[in-house]
Amino acid sequence: MKNVTHSFVFLAHWPFAGSFGLNTDILATNLINLTVVVGVLIFFGKGVLKDLLDNRKQRILSTIRNSEELRKGTLEQLEKARIRLQKVELEADEYRMNGYSEIEREKENLINATSISLEQLEKSKNETLYFEKQRAMNQVRQQGFQQAVQGALGTLNSCLNTELHFRTIRANIGILGAIEWKR
Amino acid sequence: MNITPCSIKTLKGLYDISGVEVGQHFYWQIGGFQIHAQVLITSWVVITILLGSVIIAVRNPQTIPTDGQNFFEYVLEFIRDLSKTQIGEEYGPWVPFIGTMFLFIFVSNWSGALLPWKIIELPHGELAAPTNDINTTVALALLTSAAYFYAGLSKKGLSYFEKYIKPTPILLPINILEDFTKPLSLSFRLFGNILADELVVVVLVSLVPLVVPIPVMFLGLFTSGIQALIFATLAAAYIGESMEGHH
Repeated sequence: MKNVTHSFVFLAHWPFAGSFGLNTDILATNLINLTVVVGVLIFFGKGVLKDLLDNRKQRILSTIRNSEELRKGTLEQLEKARIRLQKVELEADEYRMNGYSEIEREKENLINATSISLEQLEKSKNETLYFEKQRAMNQVRQQGFQQAVQGALGTLNSCLNTELHFRTIRANIGILGAIEWKR
Repeated sequence: MNITPCSIKTLKGLYDISGVEVGQHFYWQIGGFQIHAQVLITSWVVITILLGSVIIAVRNPQTIPTDGQNFFEYVLEFIRDLSKTQIGEEYGPWVPFIGTMFLFIFVSNWSGALLPWKIIELPHGELAAPTNDINTTVALALLTSAAYFYAGLSKKGLSYFEKYIKPTPILLPINILEDFTKPLSLSFRLFGNILADELVVVVLVSLVPLVVPIPVMFLGLFTSGIQALIFATLAAAYIGESMEGHH
């Protein structure tokens, strides 16, 4: 009994003597129970955790796939939009060219028409000028003629006295007589 | 005459071998402070477990997470959800704090329940979960207090203290008291639960070494997880409470 007690006492007190050490008493360290608990935990926890993590992984995968598909769709749309833009740009270029040529043609037509009318105008101006000159000349001539006739009339009126009158008459009579004589 | 002391001695020896050591600590003397070394050692182990597993898991991050990374991302998602529901919109900066609290407490508790600490003998006391010691839980609770004060003050400035006279100034003493009861209840709840769990297991083991403690150990695992969750949730709730109501 005493020995047992002593051994108990010794057992109870040996940790105080040393410093760090290993407790090899399997029952006191509760090793078996801990092993069972950890085993059960791993056995059941593994399935639950695996399900949980697999679900999460699947969710992530599907999200990634979805976004990938969305990205692909968006890229396709972008490509389509780019092609359309190119086409529209080409059309715009064509329209622009057409417009330019149209404008060019219009311009030419306009210039031609204007030059024709300008020529006509020039011609009519020249004619008008010619006619004006002619008229002015005619007027000047008429005026000169009138002045000469007036001068001659004035001279005639001033110089025609009786003696000259007689003489003229005589001369005329002589001329007339000569004409009679010849007959 | 001779039997009585002997039997007493026997009983004492029996008591000692199956004894539950409460209040026995392995002290280190560091700069005039007495340190509970067993708590430090187990804390280091817990920290090593956390850091090591995290480093191994995220050493080679993939777009499609592999097993370890997947698990840690799941944990992070869990913590973020928790902080978001408790704190609200501005939960972002507090995720690391809440996550640290939750993971440290959780791994501490579970290490106490799952790791065979008692294989290693100390000169005094025994190794157990770090949260088994009131100093650890008080430190965690005081950190939480500091965190929610910081959160409130940085969000609202000095008008944070208006909450002490709301809804009526009559409640001022109770509101002030709350700041003391919050860390107190946090630390004592965690400490008491974990200590009780481990004590129950130890006592049962000393009475019936096999099979019987196993259900209690599972219960202990459950409560440990719940306690970690409660601590993290309450810390987040306190932080959210001190930040709310600001326009």
